[in-house]
Amino acid sequence: MTNRQDAPAVVADTELVPASVAPVIEPPGIEPGHELLRLEGLQVHFPIRGGFLDQVRRRARGYVRAVDGIDLAINKGEILGLVGESGSGKTTTGRVVVKLTHQTGGRIVFDGQDVTTLWGTGNLRAYRRRVQLIFQDPYETLNPKHTIAEFVGEPLEVNGIGTSRQDREQRILAALETAGLRPAADFAGRFPHELSGGQRQRVVIAGALVMGPDLVVADEPVSMLDVSIRTELLHLMLDLRRERGLTYLFITHDLSLAWVLADRIAVMYLGKIMEIGPAERVIRWPRNPYTQALVSVSPSPDPPAEGERAARTILVGETPDAAHIPPGCRFHPRCPLVFDRCRVDEPPLFDVGGGQQAACWLAEGGEIEPGPA
Amino acid sequence: MTPTTAPPAAVTPARRGSRAGGRARDFAGRFLSRNDGRLGLLILVVFGLLAAFPDVFVGKLETATTATGQSLQPPGGGYLFGTDELGRDVLNMTVHGARISMTIGLMATLITVLLGAVVGIVAGYVGGKTDTVLMRISDFFLVLPTIVLAIILAPVILDIVGADAELFGIRATMIVIVVVIGLTSWATTARVIRSQVLSIKMRMFVDRARVVGSGPGRIMRRHVLPNVINLIVAQAVLTFAVAVFTETTLAFIGLGDPFAPSWGEILNSAQGAGAPGLGAWWYIAPPAICVVLVVLAFTLVGNALDDILNPRSGARR
Amino acid sequence: MTEDTTQRGRRQWPLPKLADPKAPLLRVEDLAVRFRMPNGSVKAVDGVSFGLDDGEALGIAGESGCGKTTTALSLVHLLPANGYIKRGRVELFGIDLVPKTETQIARYRWREISIVFQGAMNALNPVQRIGDQIAEPIEVRLGQPRESSRRRAGELLELVGIPRQRAGAYPHELSGGMRQRAIIAMSLACDPAIVIGDEPTTALDVMVQAQILQLLEQLRRDLGLSLILITHDLSVIAETCDRAMIMYAGRVAEEGPSRRLFTAPRHPYTQKLLSSFPNIRTDRRTLEVIPGMPPDLRKPPPGCRFAPRCPFAMPVCTEVVPPEVRFSDGVRVACHLYSDAEAPMAGAAGLKAAGETGA
Repeated sequence: MTNRQDAPAVVADTELVPASVAPVIEPPGIEPGHELLRLEGLQVHFPIRGGFLDQVRRRARGYVRAVDGIDLAINKGEILGLVGESGSGKTTTGRVVVKLTHQTGGRIVFDGQDVTTLWGTGNLRAYRRRVQLIFQDPYETLNPKHTIAEFVGEPLEVNGIGTSRQDREQRILAALETAGLRPAADFAGRFPHELSGGQRQRVVIAGALVMGPDLVVADEPVSMLDVSIRTELLHLMLDLRRERGLTYLFITHDLSLAWVLADRIAVMYLGKIMEIGPAERVIRWPRNPYTQALVSVSPSPDPPAEGERAARTILVGETPDAAHIPPGCRFHPRCPLVFDRCRVDEPPLFDVGGGQQAACWLAEGGEIEPGPA
Repeated sequence: MTPTTAPPAAVTPARRGSRAGGRARDFAGRFLSRNDGRLGLLILVVFGLLAAFPDVFVGKLETATTATGQSLQPPGGGYLFGTDELGRDVLNMTVHGARISMTIGLMATLITVLLGAVVGIVAGYVGGKTDTVLMRISDFFLVLPTIVLAIILAPVILDIVGADAELFGIRATMIVIVVVIGLTSWATTARVIRSQVLSIKMRMFVDRARVVGSGPGRIMRRHVLPNVINLIVAQAVLTFAVAVFTETTLAFIGLGDPFAPSWGEILNSAQGAGAPGLGAWWYIAPPAICVVLVVLAFTLVGNALDDILNPRSGARR
Repeated sequence: MTEDTTQRGRRQWPLPKLADPKAPLLRVEDLAVRFRMPNGSVKAVDGVSFGLDDGEALGIAGESGCGKTTTALSLVHLLPANGYIKRGRVELFGIDLVPKTETQIARYRWREISIVFQGAMNALNPVQRIGDQIAEPIEVRLGQPRESSRRRAGELLELVGIPRQRAGAYPHELSGGMRQRAIIAMSLACDPAIVIGDEPTTALDVMVQAQILQLLEQLRRDLGLSLILITHDLSVIAETCDRAMIMYAGRVAEEGPSRRLFTAPRHPYTQKLLSSFPNIRTDRRTLEVIPGMPPDLRKPPPGCRFAPRCPFAMPVCTEVVPPEVRFSDGVRVACHLYSDAEAPMAGAAGLKAAGETGA
């Protein structure tokens, strides 16, 4: 895979107009020693229900192995980009972290505590205060019958936060302001249909922040928004990270978005992590053929140079469904670099240096000279 | 970098006056702009007034002892709809009948809707075994024929409580009718509501409520119910129509209360007095037409409500 | 391009009777479309001109509400009931389509210009086999007998990469990518000269998107097809289109060969739009914000419609509509920053002349 050269110098004509300077985003304040979330061998298998007789005998016809054993760790202050196509298991992983869906195996450790199973509402409540979710669809996440204030205030009510009604109101207004909705009082009494898509998503963000969480799972938070609104909201999320020390698990199918936002990137395929590491290494020197293919076909607003189109690795076919996962390495049927061992043994994640790991037999040798792959 | 310009104000300006007031006015406007809404509402208002204040319109209910007319007089001479076999003014009885028919309809509807809504929401949201059990029960009631059930239940209940017993001032026979109608209608409502709940359950705002820690009770009350209330209201209105009609039928075949002259009862008496054979159309037509009008009115209003109140998903980009 | 390699040489069906075989494929001049709304008419498209030659791929880009879809729909009179073409010419093979009546335009819809609508892959008839759905326009519009229509449908399926045997499948049995391929096959059924795709890959995974774009490229080469791709995603246009046209608030901001446009954007809007897209191929890990919002098209601002949000706005920008200036590298820009610049051919006349020599 060749690295794209930077765009050639602009021609004289455009010197009439100075190129606008893009704002620089400050480096993050990651606490490397402080691990906030750890997933160990996480597994989510959904049983496929058979007919009536199977139900009576409680037998499943098979399993959809949405998440099939993943290990992941996120440090405080970090943004981990979880990237995958549909069927990769990335959304399910996010749902398990916020306990919307239950894992069928594995461990979840949050800030040093095992939270795999939380007994008692008190513990679950405490967990939810610290881990929240930003949903994908701003048109669907808000109950059309509730006001904005009701939406943002629900977490407070349900968890008994706030000393009085005024206190709760203050928190709601503060959350709306933080999300960029000013004047907050103006928005509080409105209904969702009175707001634009971008405003609704800000409300969703306010609702996720009102309890002051430490970890925010963002599931495709901007994919349903227009390009210019998208950028505003991403900037908002980054600002919040800086101002409040938030940690993000950023789930997306868009590798270029992860490239711009994430400190580390994990690539998922059919329920497993294929590659994980610092963003620069994963994007510039991917060691797993799936990652390589993904990077090579991710579109960019730079027209490809001559012959560059030929360097695209366009895979054949589509991701198989998670009820029929191929044996050995699950990517082997579509892999351009497949060999015998791949069909039989599933590779573990190998350390390839610089904090990067790749699940591929070709990476077994470990670190190679960094450079264009 | 946070945007230096403030995000734009909300898309539509805030309405003058209270939020609820604005929406109510908006709804009223939409309702009244429809032909079916206007006509149905008009008819219901007329009958509602008649049912609420019958004495104002036609004086007290005439009984056999206070009747002043001749037997089976055709319309004319101060009797707009003529008289019955006991000389009672048919107009007088018809107007009083409105109150009884509609009261029975209202009570039956309340039972039906309450029971149906609760079962529908719980079965739909909780799902699993609860859903299966509740739906099997409702299936049983779904197939019960109203008339047959009434015929069987009426004497049984009357036997148990005694024919002249009263509950909250309501005669036992009327209670039987209300109970019978309720038992046979709730299942339909339950099923309809359950379908809607199943689709609401899948919506993202329910997921979000769960993520912030809301329990099933709160979700059913605060998230599911407000989104099915429209359907419940539309169902209630249609059930009212059915209830009035069913009561009329039951009374007509003799399962009514002869001391509570609903429209069905009047038709029953007319039948018993041989009115059809004697050509006393004025005895039969008024109550029959009233039933038709009221049922029609409820159906029109129910249609209009259903159209207007159906959950909108909100403007998309 | 010689006659042999153009699509016209390869056509299965004859050109429309009124066609001028030497005329350029498509020329749109000063197109204006309005929508009648209860509180005023929306000037959705206000003076858009562009051209398309045989075998070319033009990408029309812009945010929602810029008028790109409206422009495409208006070419074949597919506007909603409250929309109408206020002025302009749409010349296909030299034939002006604007004054055509509903019956007359039917000759051109699907047979000369076909449209793949946004989300079409989810709008396939769920109870009809895809083979039949593809054969239907051939039977109905071209009056071909059922047998040959079915055969042609099978050929089209193979052409888009679906094995012929799957013609008996129902839409729900196919994956997202396969459904999109079936939709493309349907759009090719009557061998059109131009295919318009409205966000053809938006709902698809990035790998499937690459497959579909590769397919479109292949069809372009093999069939000599001309494409108009409408999308908000500049990256898709950069990857697949020869020329790109950036629209803003119903007008053209910049148009020209995509290589030039994307590497050296001249219009401030193009520049800002480009830097608000993440770019995986450069080291840039920042995204630019364009402050403000697109104007209300019921009362668009006078002069340049981008002026309120433009960092380089000058007094003249809010008063005078910027004229189109054409540069020697084939790029047209509508911006006052360039209206004094030396340009060999300026204005609409220049556009027409340049179009004939091929951009």
